[in-house]
Amino acid sequence: MNGLPRLVLALTLITVGAGLLLSLVESLTRAPIAEQRRLETLRALQTVLPAFDNSPDADTVELVFGTDKKGRELKRTFFRGRQGTEISGVAFSVTAPDGYSGNINMMVGVDAGGTVVGLEILSHAETPGLGDKITRDEFKGQFKGKALEGSDWRVKKDGGDFDQITGATISPRAVVKAVHKGLQFYRDHQQDVLTAERASP
Amino acid sequence: MSLLENFKKGLWRENAVFRLLLGLCPTLAVTTSAENGLGMGLATTFVLVGSNIVVSLMRQVIPPKVRIPAFIVIIASFVTVVQLCMEAYFYDLYKALGIFIPLIVVNCVILGRAEAFASKNSLLPSTVDGLGMGTGFTLALFVLGAVRELFGSGTLLGYAVFGAGYQPLILMILPPGAFIAMGLLLAAMNFIDNRRR
Repeated sequence: MNGLPRLVLALTLITVGAGLLLSLVESLTRAPIAEQRRLETLRALQTVLPAFDNSPDADTVELVFGTDKKGRELKRTFFRGRQGTEISGVAFSVTAPDGYSGNINMMVGVDAGGTVVGLEILSHAETPGLGDKITRDEFKGQFKGKALEGSDWRVKKDGGDFDQITGATISPRAVVKAVHKGLQFYRDHQQDVLTAERASP
Repeated sequence: MSLLENFKKGLWRENAVFRLLLGLCPTLAVTTSAENGLGMGLATTFVLVGSNIVVSLMRQVIPPKVRIPAFIVIIASFVTVVQLCMEAYFYDLYKALGIFIPLIVVNCVILGRAEAFASKNSLLPSTVDGLGMGTGFTLALFVLGAVRELFGSGTLLGYAVFGAGYQPLILMILPPGAFIAMGLLLAAMNFIDNRRR
């Protein structure tokens, strides 16, 4: 067997072999990867929520907060932390679309009164050494104790209350703006979040 | 060529980064810290050794006319394996390296070794060649990452080196710093080579 059939056969066999190998590895790593992602969410929830004794990643409410360019609904998940049956705090993720490079995804946690308890940066692609300082505790820590009322939600350079980072104003500005918008959304829908039945797991 | 020599050539004389100047895209892009350089180097080494082994084993079977697509399929499979395993077991490193893991596919060091060495040699020399080239690549990325991290952030593998008073030379972390550090390291290697002669 020579010529074209041989070429086709050889390439087919190689790709089939590759496909088999990949499906095997994928089935082996699927569970650990899902676990890693769940742990990451849980880690973020632990830093941004006040003390809780339930599993907030199972006690969630989903609300529609807008539509994307194609008209599909964009949903935001709210994680509810409880002490006993009382809701002690709510965490939700916000996305800053206007960072220096790409989206900045964050998790914000507020207590029952709407005051920020913590902020965690989940993923970003800001410049290493400059914009990525938004992940430092000095930057994230300043959101603690701030609420919608009583704070000017802008960076200091723009006349607000939040420290920017030397050499990188765009990233902090995007973070502050996104957290601010997230808090406003939460204020407007607080009742829905607090009273809704938990979404089906 | 003895096996030891075969291994050693990748470390200095035919070092992929500093002598052949191959694979510079990931080299310059991910070496913002020593840890990232090391992680990227090890991932590349795994793919390189794996693809060298398979290409060498199949060198009689793969028709020369379709060898390039065949090599690419083999390399891409190993890269996907690395990516899945990294996400499952080294999640932090996976997040730090991000887009550059899938891009190992187009790292020309790997295709270069498959084409120039593994497709013409038997299993053992090809494995050793992959190990040597990979180790050389890892060392190069580690050194480059260490230099840039040291001056750009004042740390080494995350530990502060210069104390709190050090004003980091941010340029070294940014893309131009990669070229500057690379040039200086190349000059140093040339200097040592000339001295030896």
